[in-house]
Amino acid sequence: MSYLEYNVKYVPTGLRKLLYINWPIVLLLTAVSCVGFLMLYSVAGGSAQPWMDPQMKRFGIGMVLMIAVGMVPIWFWRNMAALAYLSSLALLVVVDVAGSIGMGAQRWIDLGAIRLQPSELMKITLVMLLAAFYDWLPVKKASHPGWVLVAVTIILVPTALVMKQPDLGTAILLLLGGGTVMFLAGVHWAYFVTVIGAGVGLVATVLKSRGTSWQLLKDYQFARIDTFLDPGNDPLGAGYHITQAKIALGSGGWAGRGFMQGTQSRLNFLPEKHTDFIFTTLAEEFGFIGAMSLLVLYALIIAFCISSAMQNKDRFSSLLILGIAMTFFLFFAVNMSMVMGLAPVVGVPLPLVSYGGSAMLVLLVAFGLVQSAHVHRPR
Amino acid sequence: MIRAPLRPLARILRARENGENPARIEREARLKRAAQVQDRARARAETRLTVMGLLFVFAFASIGYRMATLAGSAPEEPRASVSNNPIIGLRADILDRNGNILATNLETNSVYAQPPQMIDPVGTARKLAAIFPELNADQLIRDFTGSRKFVWIRRQISPEQMQQVHDIGDPGILFGPREMRIYPNGPVASHILGGATYGREGVNAAEIVGVAGVARQFDSFLRDPANNGAPLKLSIDLSVQAATEQVLAGGMSLMNAKGAAAVLMDVHTGEILALASLPDFDPNNRPRPLTTGDASDSPLFNRAVQGVYELGSTFKVFAVAQALQLGLITPDTMIDTRGPLVWGKFRINDFHDYGSHLSVTDVIVESSNIGAARIAQQIGTDRQRAFLGSLGLLDATPVELAEAPGGRPLVPPHWSELSTMTIAYGHGIADSPLHLAAAYASILNGGTLVRPTLLKQDHPQAGPRIVSEAVSEQMRQMLRAVVTRGTASFGDVPGYQVAGKTGTADKPDPQGGYYNDKVVATFASAFPANDPRYVLVVTLDEPSETTGGAPKRTAGWTAVPVAAEMIRRVGPLLGLRPQIETPDAAGIQLSSN
Repeated sequence: MSYLEYNVKYVPTGLRKLLYINWPIVLLLTAVSCVGFLMLYSVAGGSAQPWMDPQMKRFGIGMVLMIAVGMVPIWFWRNMAALAYLSSLALLVVVDVAGSIGMGAQRWIDLGAIRLQPSELMKITLVMLLAAFYDWLPVKKASHPGWVLVAVTIILVPTALVMKQPDLGTAILLLLGGGTVMFLAGVHWAYFVTVIGAGVGLVATVLKSRGTSWQLLKDYQFARIDTFLDPGNDPLGAGYHITQAKIALGSGGWAGRGFMQGTQSRLNFLPEKHTDFIFTTLAEEFGFIGAMSLLVLYALIIAFCISSAMQNKDRFSSLLILGIAMTFFLFFAVNMSMVMGLAPVVGVPLPLVSYGGSAMLVLLVAFGLVQSAHVHRPR
Repeated sequence: MIRAPLRPLARILRARENGENPARIEREARLKRAAQVQDRARARAETRLTVMGLLFVFAFASIGYRMATLAGSAPEEPRASVSNNPIIGLRADILDRNGNILATNLETNSVYAQPPQMIDPVGTARKLAAIFPELNADQLIRDFTGSRKFVWIRRQISPEQMQQVHDIGDPGILFGPREMRIYPNGPVASHILGGATYGREGVNAAEIVGVAGVARQFDSFLRDPANNGAPLKLSIDLSVQAATEQVLAGGMSLMNAKGAAAVLMDVHTGEILALASLPDFDPNNRPRPLTTGDASDSPLFNRAVQGVYELGSTFKVFAVAQALQLGLITPDTMIDTRGPLVWGKFRINDFHDYGSHLSVTDVIVESSNIGAARIAQQIGTDRQRAFLGSLGLLDATPVELAEAPGGRPLVPPHWSELSTMTIAYGHGIADSPLHLAAAYASILNGGTLVRPTLLKQDHPQAGPRIVSEAVSEQMRQMLRAVVTRGTASFGDVPGYQVAGKTGTADKPDPQGGYYNDKVVATFASAFPANDPRYVLVVTLDEPSETTGGAPKRTAGWTAVPVAAEMIRRVGPLLGLRPQIETPDAAGIQLSSN
């Protein structure tokens, strides 16, 4: 059901919108970011430089952006969905082309103040467009093969571009995020069962092809899989990250070694300690309790998003909220799984905690959309 | 799906009768249907959401569970195990035959800078220069404030230095782990071990590459992760090697020699227990190769393996052994030693005049060039060449050193009859001390060929037969006589029954001819004589023993005493029980009361 068919009785206007913002989500996001600041402070050996300060500034900018996006009516964003998707796609193409014209493998566009990664932007705009698409499409037609093909194309084009960069982690996130929106929009079960079945079959085939003349993956890719399955095999090479991360988690124990007392990260055993592997620092210094608390914070954000989506009778809004929640969930689930050896190492940051501007800004803007949907929900 | 009709006829007709507008009914029905669709969509959305929610819960639960198991686990240390990454693979240790470490690795760190991340480049540069006095502060400041993104500061630092650098606390200064190759015994066995240097270097690791000796010969073995860190076990014995080097160094300075080499080899297994070449070097700090002059003047030059010299009278053994084997002579056959022996324009002289005839034994004992040349004439050119070839004296030694192929013997391009005669007493052919040791071992061990090896062996080598056991025994007796009553009388070591042969060869002058006052003195010995276990070859380059009046250069005065001292030192280390030769007890009355 779309706004066109609703009789919106009341929509707050002007600054009154601030009262209708989903404040619990704002508070939770701030709490998670504060955990990030603490960790960046600790990783730098007790110094605000070089990571905590810039991160705080970015968080400030991101918060302002989130509120601003949240104040803009959701129907404006729905109308912008296609445009936003197409511009991200264009940026992706630009980056790919620029990358192939001798600037080396590049994933970002330098905007002076920040480096924008179009693939980050794509995660959100893809969800937006799919939500708008299923909002526009009559529910009855959602499972028509033709319309499913359209949605699949919308997902696969940017996925392929990202894959080409190559950025496997983001590609998986795009695929799963888009798939979730399709699933929630009510596309028939059979499609998903088929795709999952085919995926499992493909993986089996790929693994079987190893060592034969028609080997489907490069040797180093197989090596990564091996390392994932048994990081102890190669503790100093490709398995280094995982082994060190496990040591950090193990040495943290239940209560942790105490703030700024982590050895693994502070003694430089861990590369990427301030970005993708920052979770290990947290786990080492605050132990199981600290790590679990962060997980609970994330879980609460997801829970508030789901509840907000359930209250929202607008199809676009609820699909958008759930899609963004799913993207957010995938971020930290993949990151934590990767650090703890549940998933292969793919470069996915821990959302709002890892050092990095692009991801944080994009996530906060995405939550701005969630706020907008929440503020302007039909009442 | 059964759908309710939009215009149910019964109701329409009833409505018409009542005068109502039937369109209203249709509108109601439409609204109802829309509500149904909406409800179904909502129900389906809720199912889907429930599925998603369950997935979320499952994911959270598995992450939480994993966290708990990891938190509950003891911190696991990384197993030193197979590595797929060739740059990081731990290099295996090198051990001696008893398991003592000859080369191992030490974990150190490298330190490097990433100037863009530095907070205080200038101050940091000054502090670094204070920690590492060899660094130039101005240069560092230029590096740190320029446009460079990466600067190596030091490739290896000690833990103390690392702590000091760490205390500077600049986030732009980073450490990388790095292995360092350590030779804990310093210069001992330096020519065998060779040394290592860094190959490809990265921030997180650096590749160690062997540059010489066994480090290079077995480079791929030492680096092969598939060996699982299995050490390389050499045949040398660290204490024997050290004693050999010590005695050799003392002898070299006493005899005023410019270089010296010694090889101690097991006659049955071919294992080299000690191999020394002086001057030597410290493989921890390997000197650069010479760029000018003669490579053999560098301490890197392995005289025992790479150095080929005319080894003089030590070669007489081969002529006599072959003639005995061929049945041309017996140890008692008298050989005409009237000199000089003239062959074309060439005259062969002896050191002394030994009279008109000497027995074959005395040709060896007194070291008669003329006698050896006459025996070689009987053997003939082709047979001599074949025999020396079968002893391995015409090819580079197969020992497992990267330098070994460089020790290729010099043989006459045209092996004339004159060459045959001069080679019989060790001139006109140049071999390394290691060649000599292996050939002596092959003749004296009972007559089977052994090839020298630096790897620990478990079994005697079963080489092809060179001479019969009887000939081998005869040669032992002759060589024993050389020590008891011949040119090597200084070589007698009580209890160890040394047998051996001296050799003093004039050094060839690069301008042509031979020097009058420069010799290579060699003593090739085996002990104990009745059942030889070891062969020891000691070679001194340009010795001159000056304690007496005129300088003495012959091997009997120079190489032999050094070898004797060496046997005295290493005999007990090798576990040889001294054998006391019982004196003739005829005149002694044993009484018990």
